[in-house]
Amino acid sequence: MKQKQPASLSQSCYHRLLYSVIVTNGMKKIASAGQMDEKALIAKLIEGDAAAFEYVVGRYHSLMLSVARAIIGEAFADEVVQDAWVSAIKALPRFEGRASLKTWLLQITSNGAKTRLRRESRQLSLDDGWQAEPDYKFNQRGHRIDDVLPWNIDTPEALLENEQLRQVIERSYQNLPPHQRAVLTMADMEGLEMTEICNILDLSASNARVLLHRARTALHHSIEQYQES
Amino acid sequence: MFECKDVAEEASNYLDGDLPLAKRLGLLLHLVYCSCCRRYMQQIRQTISTVAILRPQEQHQTDTQALAEKLRTISKTES
Repeated sequence: MKQKQPASLSQSCYHRLLYSVIVTNGMKKIASAGQMDEKALIAKLIEGDAAAFEYVVGRYHSLMLSVARAIIGEAFADEVVQDAWVSAIKALPRFEGRASLKTWLLQITSNGAKTRLRRESRQLSLDDGWQAEPDYKFNQRGHRIDDVLPWNIDTPEALLENEQLRQVIERSYQNLPPHQRAVLTMADMEGLEMTEICNILDLSASNARVLLHRARTALHHSIEQYQES
Repeated sequence: MFECKDVAEEASNYLDGDLPLAKRLGLLLHLVYCSCCRRYMQQIRQTISTVAILRPQEQHQTDTQALAEKLRTISKTES
């Protein structure tokens, strides 16, 4: 998705601010904007630069919403994120840069959502009989009964050239449960470390890994079904 | 002994390097002789790469320009 370019940030500065996703052998490395660029962005925000505000809200609002929805659910998520933005902007002059701006914003969102949740005990149960693949696909010894069919499009770029398939993946993403969506977004799109994700969502590492695998598997199924149809 | 079902369960842990050595070796050995699972693993890799490029976003109704302007106003009154 293309980001809107802030008018008053220089072209080169803006490009350095963008996150580039490098895909190597199917595994991702996400190169983040350098510390200097983030400092420049924060300085612009403190100066009250309108384009800088548009940029950060456009860049991080969905991500913050994803975290809030995962922690507190749909009903209060919007309000939690709006409050998180206000807290963050007020605290910005004291931002020390120990974490990236993204992690800091997500932590503020997470804290707000957890506070809102108060003492309600909402344990995440993963013991629900979920399976990556249904039992009928395997024989008693755990071998696949049917072949895994090859996809007729075999690079991510080629997959995404197909508009119908893009929509299938988008829909599958939107249909993921909020926890899975949040973990997938932070891990596979934003490149956050698993420890950061666990901290933000208050999950154990094993739960986070299970959620990530479930999300990936759901998306894989949607592509697989499209390819077979 | 790793079977296809175990590969389906552990694919992400393997790709993310979170699988203990013994399981990692078991899975690798299985991949050597099972073309189905090699294809499955490749498709999971491709799914991860595809999502990283597509970057689907959380749906919302927020007017982000209005929110940005509101935050800018708050920022000015704070300073």
